[in-house]
Amino acid sequence: MRDTAGLVVTGLGVTTAVGQGKTAFTRALFAAEHRFAVMDRPGRQLGTRFVGAELPALEPTTRLGARELRTASLTGQVALSTLEEAWTEAGLDGCDPDRVGLVIGGSNLQQRELVRAQDRHRAKPHFLRPSYGLSFLDTDLCGLCTSAFGIRGLAHTVGGASASGQLAVIEAAEAVASGRVDVCVALGALADLSHWELLGLHAMGAMAAEDHADAPADACRPFDKARSGFVYGEACAALVIERRGARPDAPAPYARLSGWSVRLDGNRDPNPSLDGETAAIRQALDRAGLTARDIDYVNPHGTASPAGDTTEVAALKACGLTHAAVNATKSITGHGLTAAGAVEAAASLLQMRHGRLHPTRNLTDPVDDAPRWVRGAPVEADIQHCLSLSMGFGGINTALCLSACDA
Amino acid sequence: MSPAHVGTRPTPPSSEGTHMTKDQTFTLITEAVREILPELADRDLHESDTLDALGANSMDRAEIVMTVLEEMDLDIPLVETHGPQNLGELARHLSDTAAVKAR
Repeated sequence: MRDTAGLVVTGLGVTTAVGQGKTAFTRALFAAEHRFAVMDRPGRQLGTRFVGAELPALEPTTRLGARELRTASLTGQVALSTLEEAWTEAGLDGCDPDRVGLVIGGSNLQQRELVRAQDRHRAKPHFLRPSYGLSFLDTDLCGLCTSAFGIRGLAHTVGGASASGQLAVIEAAEAVASGRVDVCVALGALADLSHWELLGLHAMGAMAAEDHADAPADACRPFDKARSGFVYGEACAALVIERRGARPDAPAPYARLSGWSVRLDGNRDPNPSLDGETAAIRQALDRAGLTARDIDYVNPHGTASPAGDTTEVAALKACGLTHAAVNATKSITGHGLTAAGAVEAAASLLQMRHGRLHPTRNLTDPVDDAPRWVRGAPVEADIQHCLSLSMGFGGINTALCLSACDA
Repeated sequence: MSPAHVGTRPTPPSSEGTHMTKDQTFTLITEAVREILPELADRDLHESDTLDALGANSMDRAEIVMTVLEEMDLDIPLVETHGPQNLGELARHLSDTAAVKAR
């Protein structure tokens, strides 16, 4: 029996270029920090000067040893560390492993490492390492995480392009709502792009112009008139979802997952759809039993895509959401692609808990004056109901309502 | 070896010739073992040690052997390395195979 009532988030893990862990991340959000630079991780440039936000050295998980971590990709290592933070906060070690699940958002997650392995062995393919046969699969992340944390209930990936992270939250919520598991962790996985994916996204006009290499701090500017596309950012987030009160020793929840929606445009292309976005917003609100007036804060998709940002603002206006505060987390983190929806759900929950909204970087000349932009400095805010939005290439629109537990 | 070299280079009498010796191969094996099983970094490795007893699972074993094969530039199927029981036997087998392949 599907029962969506009383689903809450009891644990969070976040890893972004501006901070590993909730404490560092939250501080960076309110200070509107950034780490945008010409990227230098091996495999990112091919005669290019792509700007992005790369993780500093990662604090590794304590759950696996050096042997297992040696063949774990960057995406896998970041997933393990991020999951550990959420798992520890929620206190899941005592749970029945058969009743715990994991949904990982994202596909084609380890492209950079695959390209590097292929390049290393192009002239001697017979010596390709056997571990490639395991690690090329996105589901290697499921293997790593379930072995490290003893998860036995369910584990799989879900792909929804840049909506993958939010789709993972939604599918994890559905897994608890349907009774398949009692606790389900949603993880938006780090999309480790190689120079090939960056070149492709650049060629299609989705990424900010390369001439930002001389002023990387200015490159990422969601909702600003001078925006020219998204700027990539390495990121990952994990959310522990369960039914409120199901475990007596569970920590106080961050918020309720009060409603959600997944709407498709029936469109293979990357272009956004006003109809699809408004349909997702309205359905999520309806399922949450809310009206637009109830929403205090919107965490938008806001990638700085020229068409995407204007369409999203039009959707907010069409849905009567111009009274709500809006900021753009990607102005600080960059676009985590498959991770973005989970990172932004985490950012929304952390802002709700702190009663404070982070400013939007580089929003000097907004594309539209109707939304109540948060920019310049953080603002205090009592957020009872929040709406987080994600969109993905191929006509994917997702919306998620987060509500204070006593609202 | 390219055809131009055939017959111009003496065939080594054994694996102790111009090819990697068994001892050199053993050293390569120990380096690969320590890379793939990092917890053994400080442990002495002996010819009588077996990969099983050292804690290698089947994936670890395949990784170790492939690492050594690449170092030796010895292109043989992994299945042909399954006979030897310990590190010394594996070193002997690989150095002998390399010598035969080079003839």
